[in-house]
Parts: sequence; structure tokens; C-alpha cells
Amino acid sequence: MTLTRRGFTAGIAAGLAAPYIIGSARAQGGGTIKIGMCAPITGPAAEAGKYATGGAKLAVEAINKAGGILGKQIELIIEDDQTTNPGIVLAFSKLAANPDIVGFLGSIRSTQVHAMAPDVLKLGKPVMFGGTDPNLTKLGNPWLFRFRPNDSYSGRVIAEYGVKNLDKKKWAVLHSTDAFGTAGGKALTEALGPLGATVALDQGYANQSQDFTPVVLAIKQSGADILGSYFTFENDLGIFARQLRQLGVNIPWVGSPSIVNVTALKLAGPALYGTYGVADYAEDSSEASKAFGKAYRDAYKVAPDNQSSWPYDAINVLATAIKNAGSTDPQKIREAILTVKKYPGAEGEYNFDKNGDGLHGYNIVKNEKGNIVFDKHIEFDN
Amino acid sequence: MDLVLQLLFTGIGIGAVYALVALGFVLIFRATNVVNFAQGEFSMVAAYLMVVCAVDLELPYWLSFIIALAGMAIIGVIFNLGVYYPLRHRTYLPVIIATIGASILMANGVLALYGPQPQVLPGWFDTPGIQLGPVYLDSQYLLIIVVTIALVIFNYWFFEHTMIGKKLQATSQDKEMASLLGISVSTMIMVTFIYSAVLGGLAGLLVAPILFVSIQMGSTIALKAFAATIIGGFGDVTGAIIGGLALGIIETFGAAYISVPYKDGFAFLVLVLFLVFRPQGIFGERVAEKA
Repeated sequence: MTLTRRGFTAGIAAGLAAPYIIGSARAQGGGTIKIGMCAPITGPAAEAGKYATGGAKLAVEAINKAGGILGKQIELIIEDDQTTNPGIVLAFSKLAANPDIVGFLGSIRSTQVHAMAPDVLKLGKPVMFGGTDPNLTKLGNPWLFRFRPNDSYSGRVIAEYGVKNLDKKKWAVLHSTDAFGTAGGKALTEALGPLGATVALDQGYANQSQDFTPVVLAIKQSGADILGSYFTFENDLGIFARQLRQLGVNIPWVGSPSIVNVTALKLAGPALYGTYGVADYAEDSSEASKAFGKAYRDAYKVAPDNQSSWPYDAINVLATAIKNAGSTDPQKIREAILTVKKYPGAEGEYNFDKNGDGLHGYNIVKNEKGNIVFDKHIEFDN
Repeated sequence: MDLVLQLLFTGIGIGAVYALVALGFVLIFRATNVVNFAQGEFSMVAAYLMVVCAVDLELPYWLSFIIALAGMAIIGVIFNLGVYYPLRHRTYLPVIIATIGASILMANGVLALYGPQPQVLPGWFDTPGIQLGPVYLDSQYLLIIVVTIALVIFNYWFFEHTMIGKKLQATSQDKEMASLLGISVSTMIMVTFIYSAVLGGLAGLLVAPILFVSIQMGSTIALKAFAATIIGGFGDVTGAIIGGLALGIIETFGAAYISVPYKDGFAFLVLVLFLVFRPQGIFGERVAEKA
């Protein structure tokens, strides 16, 4: 068979046209409501990505089993964000190019949400995310909705618990010098003043420090009777915790969420016994949290954490909003999300404010010989 | 005073770790005239080998230690044959780039096999440390210091008093002359790579119980060790040890008395000062160009 010029041209034309024809056929026959999700399938957070997609899939399956929404099944389309900022921008643009997708799940990392935010604004469709930088819902971007309490709450909860429940007023505040740690440390020190507590030491450290001896000695010398901390990486937390105990510092310690995550518990072991942490997901904090915990364990045979609970809630709230709106029109979905009140999610009770923040409080949990035990929930009205 | 003693102990301990990795840099530099940027990854790979043997397979600690170091010797051979040997007749630049490539390969290889979560490796001793008056001595740091001293003595004996050590020195000084004298240059370079990989691995195994086992552990230490090598004088074994210890002490005291967040800055400030005022380092000789 010889290839004629006409045959070649026809072939090229058919090749170019095919995706459009197939695409339009798919759009017409689409009996599903599509939700896009950017998740770290590769890169340093690949492990966390498994939890995130697991949580989202669990919610999708439950909704579909119960008959779906607006008479249609939900279809989850996942793109790899490579745990990087360029990665999530690329992943989001791929998903955004699909006109059938009605809503999206972004990242648990604030920096990635910042990176994708301009494209979200351009697209004009609702995006759920888990990053906790307070500024994210103050960008004037109406399409961002947060499914974890932001860091201004964690600082206030740490301060309130330490001062009111543990009755300690002389604080050492230790934080990483990255964006997360600096914002957290600032939120904590600002919350201490109005409660009548003083900051004896406000100490930053650079990530991936191999040694914390100078920090521990500074805490010892400051005479602080309680420690509040914002650690970004678990290995820093582990090294610090061990050195703190070795050098004989045993004051109460209330930390940001990393202090109770599985990796930190494994690395630091007994050095973290007796410490307190703020946690957005605590399995025993509510009936909804317990139900999610059981469902997740049954499905994946491992305990869930906040990496999986927020995507689970995000899918559920998005589905509820679409149902309430009775439409997949982005503006109507947006308005429906903002009217969500008293929704019992795995992370807590969702009451969306005008900024798009769904949660306004944190759980305090205690490390009892390696077991994380729910202590109390502290909620704020503003 | 108590504070000073405590800081001094920690500074020497962390400095000894830098010194161990710096030794690996120096040995390869002397033999091949290139900087091996995968030296830090040798530490990381060894630590993961140790986790596989001692934690996952639950083999005895001493046996896992030997297996991990033997594994590093094999990696040294592969590294020599795969990274250095094919490029040995080229200038130093392609070789250096190849070592950077190898370090990325090793880091991502381990990431793919073992995942991103840091791992715990128990220390040699059951007791975490001893309280000596006002100073707490971490047992693992004590071990590191003892091993470093032992290695300094061993290196001196090995290079000055054994035939293979002398052959290695001859090779590093002048390959052509060594070859004319009947020394197999490629064998000597192979031995150097094996020895450096084992040394880097040893540093990794010793430091893993303190810093935990993670993908980044190698690169963080290697960067400091590289600075230590320059401070000590590139190519000088004693210089690497002194440079490493000095760096550990400077950054620990700098952090305690000046600023914690800028701890890493002190190390590199010293490095810059040396590069400007004494580029040959403490022990280095001013050499214009090797013949």
C-alpha cells in the first residue's frame, strides 16, 4: 500500500478531529457530575497523597451508593501535583481544561494553594482546600473554601488551653522560621497578651537543624513554665524533643498539629509522652469523626489522619451544596457552600463564614504513652 | 560555665560527624582530583541499609552494621565503575557533574523504594547518655567522638605505614609516575572509592540514631562537611578533621550566643572568610596547578 498525498491529508485531518468528536460525544453522554482533585501522587508528600485520595474516594463511594446527587453519580478525576508549586499549577490547568468539572479539591499545603490561586480566580469555579495560612481566605478570591481551621485559631487554642486549663503564664514560644512557623508563632504570641500571659522566650529555628542544644538551654535559662511550639518537619521535632528531655526540661508542652502526627510519634517516642497538641482531626471528638474513622479503617485497614479527613469533608460539603443549589452553576454552588451551617464533618462542625473558612476551632489532644487521646474542643465565634 | 561545657560537647559531637564525611571528600579528591558530591548520599544509603537489616529484618545490630558497611563497599565499586571510570580521561568537570547525577539517583532511588517518611534507628547503647556533673553526654555522640579519634589514628597508620597506603598516596600524587613504578592506578582508585563509600556509610550509621534516617540526611551533612574540607585545606586528612570539629563548635556557640535561626549562616560565613583570606585552608599548601 502506498501512501497518497490525499490519503495522508485525510489521515491528518481525521487524527486532529478525533479528540473533539470523542470529547463532544463524551460530554453529551456524560451521566456523571465530575469533581477534579489535585493530590501529591509523587514527590515528598506522596505518602500523604494516598491518605488524601483515600478520604475523597471514600466520600464519593458513599454518596454514589446512596444514589448520587441530582440523579447523577459523582466521578472523581485525580491529577498529580508532584508536591510542588509548578506541579499543582500544571495539574489544576489540566483539570480546568475539562469543562465538565464543576468543583475542585486543592492542596493541604498553603504554598501550593497560593500558587494555584490566580488560576482559580480566572476559572471561576469553587475550589476546596486544606492549607492553614490565614491569608488564603483573605486574598479577595471568592472561589476558595477552607476545610481545616486556619492557623490563627491554632495559636489562640494553644494559648487558651495553656493559660486557662494548665494555668501557666510564663511562655517559651518556639517556631520554625519558614512561612508556616513564623505565622504560627506570631499568632500564638499575639493570643497570649490578652490572656494575661507573658512571653519569656520567642525563639525561631531554621528547618533541618541537626542540633537543638542551644535552643533547649535558652528555654531552660528563660525560666518559662510552659512551651508552645510550631514545628514544620517531624525530624526536627523528634531531635528537639529528645534533647529537651535529655537536658532535663520537663515543663508542659503544647504544640501545633505536627506534634501528634504518626511520624513524629514514631521518631520521638517517649520524649513526647505527656505533651499536648492541637489537632484538626481527632477521632473521638464527635460522632461524625468516629463514623469517618470507622469507615476509613474498614476500607483501608489503617487509621485516618487530617490528610484524609479534610478531602472527605470537602467532597461531602461540595455534594451537599450542589444538591441544595439544585444546579452545577459555579455561582450557585458558591452561594450554597456559604450557607452551610452546623454541618457535622469528620474535622468538626462546619459553619462557613463570608471568607470561605468552614471551621473555627481546634481539638486539644494529649499524648498518653504514645496514644493520642481527645481532651477538649475549643471553638471561637469570630 | 556549665552552659559552655554542654555546648562544647555537642559542638565536638556534631563536628565529628562533619569530620567523618569530610574525610571521604578528601580521600577521593586526593586520588582523583574531583569532588564527589554523592559523598553525603553514601551516608544516607548506608543508614537505610541499616534500617532494612536491623529494624525490618530484625538482624542483630552488629551484624546489620557489618552488612551495611559491606553493602557500601559494593556501592563504592559500582560508583567507581559507573560514575568515575568511564569519564576518567576527561577533565574534572564531567566527573563532578556525574557525581551530582549519581547523588540525585541515589536519593530518588531510596525515595522510590522506601517512601518519604523518616525512619528510626536505635543507637548502639541502651542507655541514651550519662550525666557527668552539669553536662549531659549523649552516648551516641560519645561513640562518634571515639570513632573519629580512632579513624584519625587508623588513617595515619594506613597511609604512612602500609604498602597499600603508600601506593594510594603515590597514585594521588602522580598517576603516571605511579603507573611507571608498577602500581595499578585503576585498582588504587577503586580502593579509594570503596574506602570513601565505607567511611561515608560509617558516618551515616553513627549519626542516624541522632538525626533519624531520612532522604535529606546526607545532603545536609555533606554541605557542612564540604565547608569543613575547604576550611581544613582541600586534600588534607588532618585538615578535614580539624575543619569539621571547628565548624561544629563554631555553629553551636554561634547559635547559643548570637542567633539560632542563623546557625547555618555561621558555618558558611567562616567558609567565605577562608575562601577570601586563606583559600588553601588551615593545612593546605598553596599549589598553583598539579603537574
